[in-house]
Amino acid sequence: MRPAIVVQSLGKRFRCYTQHRPRTLMQAALTGWRGLTSSDYFWALRDVSFTVAPGEMLGVVGRNGAGKSTLLRLLGRLGRPEEGTIGLNGRIGALLDLGAGFHPDLTGRENVLVNAVVAGLLHREARQQFDSIVEFAELSNFIENPVRTYSTGMMMRLAFAVAIHTRPEILLVDEHLSVGDQLFQHKCLDRITQLKAEGCAVVFISHSVEQIEKSCDRALWLNQGRIWAEGHAGTVVEQYRGAMEPALLKSSTGNQTQEVA
Amino acid sequence: MNHRSTIARRSFFERVCGRDAQHLWDLVVQLVSRELKLRYKRSVLGIAWTLLNPLLQLLVFTFVFRGVLQLNMSHYASSVFCGLLVWTWFQSSLTDGTGVINANPALIRQPGFPSLILPIVVILVHMVHFVLALPVLVIFLLIDGVMLQTVLLQLPLLMLLQLGFTAGLTYILAATNVMFYDTRYTVGVLLQLLFYATPIFYDASIIPEYYQFWYWLNPIAHLVAAYRAVLIQGFTPNWLPLLGMGMAATGLFVVGQRYFIAQSDRFVEEL
Repeated sequence: MRPAIVVQSLGKRFRCYTQHRPRTLMQAALTGWRGLTSSDYFWALRDVSFTVAPGEMLGVVGRNGAGKSTLLRLLGRLGRPEEGTIGLNGRIGALLDLGAGFHPDLTGRENVLVNAVVAGLLHREARQQFDSIVEFAELSNFIENPVRTYSTGMMMRLAFAVAIHTRPEILLVDEHLSVGDQLFQHKCLDRITQLKAEGCAVVFISHSVEQIEKSCDRALWLNQGRIWAEGHAGTVVEQYRGAMEPALLKSSTGNQTQEVA
Repeated sequence: MNHRSTIARRSFFERVCGRDAQHLWDLVVQLVSRELKLRYKRSVLGIAWTLLNPLLQLLVFTFVFRGVLQLNMSHYASSVFCGLLVWTWFQSSLTDGTGVINANPALIRQPGFPSLILPIVVILVHMVHFVLALPVLVIFLLIDGVMLQTVLLQLPLLMLLQLGFTAGLTYILAATNVMFYDTRYTVGVLLQLLFYATPIFYDASIIPEYYQFWYWLNPIAHLVAAYRAVLIQGFTPNWLPLLGMGMAATGLFVVGQRYFIAQSDRFVEEL
């Protein structure tokens, strides 16, 4: 079968600007257009290669700043990599900035319709899916209220419901499953598993290694922008945990360690 | 339906007629209507607000230049109102369009979102205002004793020209504003200058002979004169400068779009 995602020796670097970099036209003109380019670079990702088959779920672990979110953004075609290529077969659905696209003054209904179209559905399809979206978010009673009256949990539920109903073939999930209560989290994971069963390829970032161990087929451990380990989810998570534990024990009390492990 | 598409290059035909074209259209319609809804969501006067601004300006100009300075110009109120509507569309589009990328980070961060449509959405929003104000202008004209002629049918052509010209400019300004956030303010000042260099509250004939050449280098001056020819004087406008402007607009559109696309990879990083 043709893989859904093929990533080959991907590299992304960011410029390290100096503090003298002009931020306004006025400053730029006054400094004679200097400091606009930078010779200092910092590689957020380097030599990253992997493939994800349809119906497969890949978990990505790593510490803060390891390049997880950068990787997810590049997969979503946000920004251009300096090295390597990304091949995607299928429509992308993303759970990146959940709820960011909602406008507080519009009602839930208006927001759902606009955001479903922004996420890739036709207007006709968005209307067909509307009832199902609202039902999934468990917000039937509040859908005519402006979103500014919603709680954070309600907003996240609605955003998740919209994203999941766009019938993606490739799903990118940033660590957002921590939204909502346990029951809703469970429902979300269930829905992702269902999409997976229907042939959707999933890339999943989470700090909760249990979630990755439980629901991913394979895992990738990123460390300072490079692949540190790759393979069966259980094995990689075990290695990651093994590496994190001594550091954790050194820096904190036992009861915080329990929380993480 | 099978959408194995995002990366494979598709034929021109598929792009124009396929699902993507349909989606692009739906997206523009949804975003334009969202903007319009938002603008009037919490106001009593609603859409009438858009008319209030040019009407108040009209009042000021009529008082100052008719009552105080005795400017001699036939159909003064209708001419000024016509000029103000055209100018408002141009100015609001450029001002809002320059900041449109910075104002919509959530859309820019949506995978697969075509950021190219954002400046167009802004211009269309203000075009809707312009079109909604047209009936009021026509009432104005009828009261003023102007006979509407069939040249009125050339109006959509002028609007298309204005749309393309504004879009090209907006692409460049919007992309620049991501890097330098004071572009917006600079544009504001330049627009004010341009407002006085455009025959809106006066007639172009009062410009001294010596300056005429320089004066007519301002494309908006040609545009306003053409709108007036079609709406008030009932003449076919002078299409030669407009043709030149059309070619400039096409060039600007192509170059602006290229520049915008080249810069668009940085939008996510800079916001």
